[in-house]
Amino acid sequence: MNMDFTDKRFLVIDDQAMAREALRSIAQTAGAFSVEFACNYQDAIFRIRNNTPDVILCDYMLGDGRSGQQLLEELRRFKLLPDETIFMMVTGEQSYEQVVSAVELVPDDYIIKPFSPDKLLLRLERILVKKAFFADYYKERRKQEFARALALLETKLNSTAGRGYRFEIMRQKAETLLASGHNTAAEALYRGILDAGEFPWARAGIARTLQRQNRLDEARHEIERVVASTPYYFDAFDVKATICLAQGDTDEAQQVLEQVARKTPRNYLRKRLLAEAASLNGDTETARAVMSDVIANDNMPGAVLAEDRLALARSHVAHDDRIAGEAALIGIRDSEVQNFSLDNQSSYAALLAICCPERGKKKFIGLRPALMSTELAIMNRLDVLHAALYLNDAELADRQAESMMAGPDAKSAFSAMRKLYALYGREVDFRDLQKQVALRRIHHT
Amino acid sequence: MQKLLDILASGIHDAKNQLFIAESLISDAEKRHSIDLAEARYALESAANRMSRMLTSYRVMRHESRLSLLPVIVSDLCAEIALDQRNHLAHRNLALDVECTTDEAWPLDRDLVIDMLNNAVQNAGRHARQRIRLTAEQQGEMLVFKVDDDGPGFANLPPPRGTGLLLAAELARMHVRRGHCGSLTLSNGSPLGGARFELRLP
Repeated sequence: MNMDFTDKRFLVIDDQAMAREALRSIAQTAGAFSVEFACNYQDAIFRIRNNTPDVILCDYMLGDGRSGQQLLEELRRFKLLPDETIFMMVTGEQSYEQVVSAVELVPDDYIIKPFSPDKLLLRLERILVKKAFFADYYKERRKQEFARALALLETKLNSTAGRGYRFEIMRQKAETLLASGHNTAAEALYRGILDAGEFPWARAGIARTLQRQNRLDEARHEIERVVASTPYYFDAFDVKATICLAQGDTDEAQQVLEQVARKTPRNYLRKRLLAEAASLNGDTETARAVMSDVIANDNMPGAVLAEDRLALARSHVAHDDRIAGEAALIGIRDSEVQNFSLDNQSSYAALLAICCPERGKKKFIGLRPALMSTELAIMNRLDVLHAALYLNDAELADRQAESMMAGPDAKSAFSAMRKLYALYGREVDFRDLQKQVALRRIHHT
Repeated sequence: MQKLLDILASGIHDAKNQLFIAESLISDAEKRHSIDLAEARYALESAANRMSRMLTSYRVMRHESRLSLLPVIVSDLCAEIALDQRNHLAHRNLALDVECTTDEAWPLDRDLVIDMLNNAVQNAGRHARQRIRLTAEQQGEMLVFKVDDDGPGFANLPPPRGTGLLLAAELARMHVRRGHCGSLTLSNGSPLGGARFELRLP
């Protein structure tokens, strides 16, 4: 293997000029061909997008409330980090070690300052060896060829060269099983990993697999343990929130997310989840403020999706602010509307029917036959329910409510549904529907 | 009290950053003038390690310390100890042999274990005549590191323990797995004739 770094392009990311200079000097002594600088988060993303470096040396503290870990997460979110690129976190303190040992999304390695050029070289060479070992697997995984990816991992697990990577192979295998819907197999594997060591990411993995199996109380128990022992493992709080939502504990979900969002003010994926939790929790004020923040500030190209504008419009509608709701809907391009899934199409038509009946009502009625029969995701279903109540279409409204009550989202949607019925003076009808669904459930079992 | 810990941690963080700048300037000078200043860099790194160890001790004493378990390839870990110490020992005409007989990965706190072993090798270096040997092997459910030297051995057993050794013993105990916990033993059982530092991790 080519262990030479003389043809490699390095990118050094640090907000301190002296520290950048020091990293450059060490990298050059280690043999780097060229070293570029980025002095902040935005600059780093810009450079990586335009010309992906071979090796990234990123300081953990980037100033302005940003961390190297956030940068890493953002780069993965927008698929800006090819598998071949080395991402090395550089840190002056041991506390980053705690983050790395807990979280799912890790850099290739981290190194604690001060370190010599030789030490850096040793670590970089090991990463190259490891990347070469996993290269064929990464390729299949990227193509979502899960069966082939799993077969490759199985071979690696039994190989001599794979002995040192045993844990990493098992971790990748569990993640691939989870991604391909093999929940019980993933659970068994995570439990095996936990037996070998108390890794927080493995326990969070168990919680995920339990959640997918709808074993919510057990999932909640496992994730509570992770959250209590590793307060800096923020993704675990997201997992907890989604479990809480599924349990109908919308209040706890919102609280958990608000608490973490304060620590990670620029994680806009988390904010979207917070907006959803707040919306289900009936805190429409928070939902609106958070979605406005997301749309105004999540400024990577392609970051703000039509779904986000729907969420913003939804929060305006919840405040009976139809003009603002319509403005948010107008922000969605026609081409996006044409390519909408039925879920989004339903929300779009429903919200438009409420904000601007002369434009939206016809569209909504056109969708009615589909809405009477198809399964929709929870937030979209709630939009349809709202529009149906607004347009006095009791049959369509009750059909939505019944579906939700009988389905897996019953608990998370319950309080939002009840509020909507109350808003249109139909509390009594809602209680009747509840009874009917409960009776039907008894007869069926 | 949390505040004091924050002040210490951020002070140490800044100091280590400055030591890194110093190390980069030294390594730059080495390259430019083709000179060897490895001993100066070694002294800087040792100072940084001491500060980190101090902070770890403080956390352990306040029971606020938590291990960060990562699967670490044992032979990689041994190679880092060799890289950290060999040059410095050679300066004093001491040889460091490394024997690692396992190709396994082991869940352990990499930085803390490296620091413990570096410290053990440094201690051995103070008493050794010619040779120090670091060995790593798997014994059933345990991973065993030994640092042997060919010095006079401990005058008294058990030897009086300084902060470094007390900390190492506590950190070893904190490594717990499947009902076993780690341990640290000091003896005169070195086949080289001197002292032995033995770290056992589950």
